Amino acid sequence: MTNKKSFTLNKYFSLTKGSIMESLSFRFSMLITVIGNLIYLIVIYYLWKAIYASSSSEVVNGMTFHDTMIYLVLALALFNFMECFIVWSIGRNFQTGQIALELIKPMDYQVFCFFANSGQYLISFFTTFLPTLIIVYLITKGGFALSINLIYFILSVILAIVINFCVDFFVGVICFYTESVWGVNIMKEVVVALLSGASIPLAFFPDRLRTIVNFLPFQAIYNSPLKILIDKSLETKDYITIIGFQIFWVAIMILISRIFWNVSKRIITVNGG
Amino acid sequence: MDNKRGLGFYIHLYKIILTQDLKSKMSYRADFIISTIGMVFTNVSGFITFWILFQNFPSIAGWNYYEMLFLYGFSLLALTPVQCFFDNNWNLRSHIYTGDFIKYCLRPINLFFYYMSEVFDMKGIGQFFFGTGTLYYAWNKLGIPFTLKNLILLIISFISASLFMIALMNLAAATNFWLMGSTFVMIFAFKFKDYARYPVKIFSRVFRFIFTFIIPIAFVAYYPSLFFLKPDEIPPLTYLSPFLGMIFFYISYKVWMKGALSYSGTGS
Repeated sequence: MTNKKSFTLNKYFSLTKGSIMESLSFRFSMLITVIGNLIYLIVIYYLWKAIYASSSSEVVNGMTFHDTMIYLVLALALFNFMECFIVWSIGRNFQTGQIALELIKPMDYQVFCFFANSGQYLISFFTTFLPTLIIVYLITKGGFALSINLIYFILSVILAIVINFCVDFFVGVICFYTESVWGVNIMKEVVVALLSGASIPLAFFPDRLRTIVNFLPFQAIYNSPLKILIDKSLETKDYITIIGFQIFWVAIMILISRIFWNVSKRIITVNGG
Repeated sequence: MDNKRGLGFYIHLYKIILTQDLKSKMSYRADFIISTIGMVFTNVSGFITFWILFQNFPSIAGWNYYEMLFLYGFSLLALTPVQCFFDNNWNLRSHIYTGDFIKYCLRPINLFFYYMSEVFDMKGIGQFFFGTGTLYYAWNKLGIPFTLKNLILLIISFISASLFMIALMNLAAATNFWLMGSTFVMIFAFKFKDYARYPVKIFSRVFRFIFTFIIPIAFVAYYPSLFFLKPDEIPPLTYLSPFLGMIFFYISYKVWMKGALSYSGTGS
């Protein structure tokens, strides 16, 4: 009899176990993600330390080991902050037909996508980017200037988010024409990571390559805000030049992605309900 | 029961299952082509990264440009099997969650084999060719003699090196059996493949130990490459790597199976 009773309770306890696992799983995933980022930082720390050890001078292309590390740590923080999977959501919504429901909303689809993700930007700004920034500042004992450049920096980050969003949106719409979301998305990630200076600071690029990259929108995503934050030699006119370039790219990217969207949305009607 | 079936039986079976998978993939030809190009994009970007670095610096921890490319090419090759043959690990979460996984438990063949055989990821093929090309280029530039002995060594070390990443991903995927949805563990483990392209020498002693014995990515490219790159100072671990690879793979297989056999379905 007692056996039977404990048996009946057991089945309820398995539900307890399930719900514990589910909520622990969320915490655990946060922890693992943080550890993963830490390991990444450790690897690039030793990598760049070995790289600088092989060099005869301490300053290479105007950057010391110290500068490079600050740059790369903050680039990682920016990357985590701006990651938003818009390509996936547009691609998937197109494939499942869900997009039809979003199109009948009395809103502009592109603006809708942006604001549907905006909360995520806000949250990750406070949970990942700001803590990283403070920790880096404390560890490096003022490795970057904290003055008027912070205002330019925040402005620059907002512009960077918009450019990044437009690139993602554009690439998401490309998925209408391809059967592949994974392939298109990975190409975008690779191109953005390399040409934006997120994986290697643009200062290290050979001259000719850097000239080309300077004419592309990607450097306005990572390189511009990081330069404003880290480079202490900049003056007001440099800040304004950088921000001006970003505004230029925001305008161009919004224009291009909107034209592309307006041309492409005709395809959607084929899918029906 | 499973073990009584011979290798021939499983090879035959693998061919049949593989053909089915390829047939269904062929109906998404554009996806295959774009995904392959995407995969090669990531490989090319790794190559460009090294190229840019070596425009500014002469060497990394005493390794020159071509030695680093050798290491990179080797790591891409060694990472191909996990990409091509063990990609179904990534679907484990949804199979377990929806209860589909039970179908694998009901066949009279090895569960692990059946599960993995169902998906062949074609994207890995692009990586295989790019890795081979990079390795060939570096091999020539370094003037490593192309002898039969070296070729055999290359094949043995390539196969054993690939076991480490396969085992790592099996272990990461197996966590799905105990946690509810642990794709994040897999993403975490999968990132280590990118660290296999650096000589483990660059790390401090603690991390050298970790990357050799705890998360053994140093065996994916570094230790086996020493056969060809530094033939005068081959450490014992290089010789041991095939055995360690088999042991590590066996452990991961056992853990994966233990998880799979404890799977009790979703009740529906």
